[in-house]
Amino acid sequence: MDEKVEKIIEQHQGKPGTVISVLESVQENYGYLPQQILEQVAQALGVPLAQLFSMATFYSAFSLKPRGKHTIYACLGTACHVRGGARVLKGVSQQIGVKPGDTTDDRQFTLETVRCIGCCSLAPVVKVNEDVYGYTTTDKMRGILDNYKE
Amino acid sequence: MITVTINNKKYEANEGEYALQVLKREGIEIPYLCYHEALSPYGACRLCMVEVTGGARPGITTSCTLVVTDGLEIQTEAPEVVRIRKVLLEMYLAEAPGSEAIQELARKFGVERSRFADFDIEAKGDRCVLCGRCVRVCNEVLGVGAINYASRGTKSNINTPWYGVSSACIGCTACAYVCPAGAIDIIDSGDERIMETWNRTTLKLKECVETKEFFATEKVIDHVYSKALDLPEDLKEVSAGSRMRRRASEFLPKYLRK
Ligand code: SF4
Ligand code: FES
Repeated sequence: MDEKVEKIIEQHQGKPGTVISVLESVQENYGYLPQQILEQVAQALGVPLAQLFSMATFYSAFSLKPRGKHTIYACLGTACHVRGGARVLKGVSQQIGVKPGDTTDDRQFTLETVRCIGCCSLAPVVKVNEDVYGYTTTDKMRGILDNYKE
Repeated sequence: MITVTINNKKYEANEGEYALQVLKREGIEIPYLCYHEALSPYGACRLCMVEVTGGARPGITTSCTLVVTDGLEIQTEAPEVVRIRKVLLEMYLAEAPGSEAIQELARKFGVERSRFADFDIEAKGDRCVLCGRCVRVCNEVLGVGAINYASRGTKSNINTPWYGVSSACIGCTACAYVCPAGAIDIIDSGDERIMETWNRTTLKLKECVETKEFFATEKVIDHVYSKALDLPEDLKEVSAGSRMRRRASEFLPKYLRK
């Protein structure tokens, strides 16, 4: 068994609500939920793999695909939408070359859409990790994203 | 024994049973999808709604999860119950436009058409109503757990992990047996059983040494032997029919000689 996952299971074993906490730790440690790791988790916890897959696809906190180092959240809430959020999203999508929900090949960025992050007065808003950017345009986003690249 | 009143008529019922069980036993028509006598109640499809009149908790509720108590009074044809039932049936028609079983059920309860028919419901296939019977029989009864719900919301569907061939599935066909919508396709071809709906998971079938018919998958036989103790070894190789003939030919002569 993979050492990392062995430790994760050890930490959680025997406690109630084990499965979800184990999945959370796996997500944290591996950046996503790899199939082989979940197979090992299923075996160790005696839970059907189908159940883990069900949970993994239900909660948006879990990802079945590797995630980028940085997550870009383009807001498509009502306010951002009327102020061109969709256009900014399209621009960002073209700049990094992935569709919403996907991750760049170099694993730098994952692009996501959100519905309102609560600062409509700054519309259109884009969040990168925990940093919020207001009044965004496609051009501005290029500069902003450059700062995150290594 | 306790007494419950259904549509103003009194019936006897067993303590602890569910109202839907009484309705079924007494032949009182009510539609339902997620309930199955072999499975734990689930309360998911909402079709078995009844109105509880009087008592501590009056109101509309699902009969499959309603434990009967002495003096319980319910109505199965209250106007609000009928209205909810019909809307739900319309939704199910839209959710499973390809299921003849669902169409038949809807028709039986007076719903021919759906106002929701044009809604775009993704990914589920066109017959499944997500009642979860297949999931529960696979988990609760078989203890296999090869399938489960996947995804969420309009993308919800029943599937195998990673939408792939299942290594857990034993090919018992219980899922198709309990499915109320006829949504699960299984094809037996030669010595193989193909679980079409479960991404063509394919299992080897065992041939009866006597009749040469294929009677079960190898994995089902292994599964049964792993759960039950002291099964005669020869049952591994013969079909149910041959099994009976064998047993009969062992026992009958003893009695016939006398
Ligand atoms: S496949 Fe059939 S049994 Fe399974 S959830 Fe869908 S309708 Fe219910
Ligand atoms: S049978 Fe009662 S909710 Fe489905």
